[in-house]
Amino acid sequence: MADVLILNASPRAPKSNSKRYAQLFAEQCSLPSETCNVTRNNHLELCEKLNACSQVLLVFPLYADAIPVTLLNFFKTLEQHPPKQKPTVSVLINCGFLEPHQNDVAVDMVKLFCKQNHYPFGSVLQLASGEAILDTPFRWIARRAIGKLARTVAKGKHCTIRAAMPIPKSWFIRASTQYWTQYGQRNHVSPEEMRTMSIEGRELE
Amino acid sequence: MNLILSDRPLSLQLPPDGDSVYVDLSQKKIANCVGCFGCWTKTPGKCVIRDDAVEIYPLIAQSDRVLYVSRVRYGGYDTPMKTMLERAIPVQQAFIRLLDGETHHVQRAVRPKTATILAYGVSDTEEQALFERLVERNAHNMNFQSWNAVFCSEEGLEASVQEEVWKWQMC
Repeated sequence: MADVLILNASPRAPKSNSKRYAQLFAEQCSLPSETCNVTRNNHLELCEKLNACSQVLLVFPLYADAIPVTLLNFFKTLEQHPPKQKPTVSVLINCGFLEPHQNDVAVDMVKLFCKQNHYPFGSVLQLASGEAILDTPFRWIARRAIGKLARTVAKGKHCTIRAAMPIPKSWFIRASTQYWTQYGQRNHVSPEEMRTMSIEGRELE
Repeated sequence: MNLILSDRPLSLQLPPDGDSVYVDLSQKKIANCVGCFGCWTKTPGKCVIRDDAVEIYPLIAQSDRVLYVSRVRYGGYDTPMKTMLERAIPVQQAFIRLLDGETHHVQRAVRPKTATILAYGVSDTEEQALFERLVERNAHNMNFQSWNAVFCSEEGLEASVQEEVWKWQMC
């Protein structure tokens, strides 16, 4: 039985950055943990697992300014199948923008779910510049922040941590442009093609 | 163009000018976004999942006015609307720009728009305030020049939507 159940609610969980963050958390957490992906078909199984843990860590990316549908749908099932003992819920959210505060609304959605369904709320790590940070010289910032979250969760304490690359926005824009350009090149798509203004092949008026 | 995107069937009288489109998401087959970034880096501007969403996000982009009708869950859009909004990311580029001092994605040919969000099923004022904050965030990423969140009961929903549509004819 794991004390901490780590739920990866990324829509692309097996290949996600959330998977890497969850792994870093598990490595640095002194309590036994188990990591599961939230999929379309395993909601009931996960609800059952919640009976056997004292803490849940939700790891997910910001999607359209909010929690991803993957997590939203799991919450709806969990509401119908609550565990007998409600674990403390903590959050590790990441977004591809430079500002951690862009995650605030999504975190407050989780808090509202917890309030409406009587789950104690624990700690939060809001990780910004999350799409690339683990593959940059600033990976230590993410690792250190996740370590702090892991220690806080293990001690049953509450805190909110915000972490991002410590660079000016103009540098971040240049770095992200390079990151996405290289991403496109791997698919043999040029930056000019990526910058197309057409949508579904149509030049909209 | 005006677009009404609803998460449930509505019986509506549309303005006679023919410039308004109504889409009932409950009748559409729309899969979850899988976060593959294909619409940014493989087939820019096109989603790799070829379901009904690919007909809808160009309408969102083309619209000058949108009216989104959605149930609220945990202070956000419920599943049908949220699924569609997640699938609308082909209207953006991967590249990042500065907007109002924050980093956001560059938009493709997305018209600046006036957005009204008709939200029903809100439990209390806390959830209402959170939903308003969400729409305010959406404004940055969905090219809303102005927005208004209108809260109504499920019973009064159809009348409230019709009232919003009548307003379009007056301005």
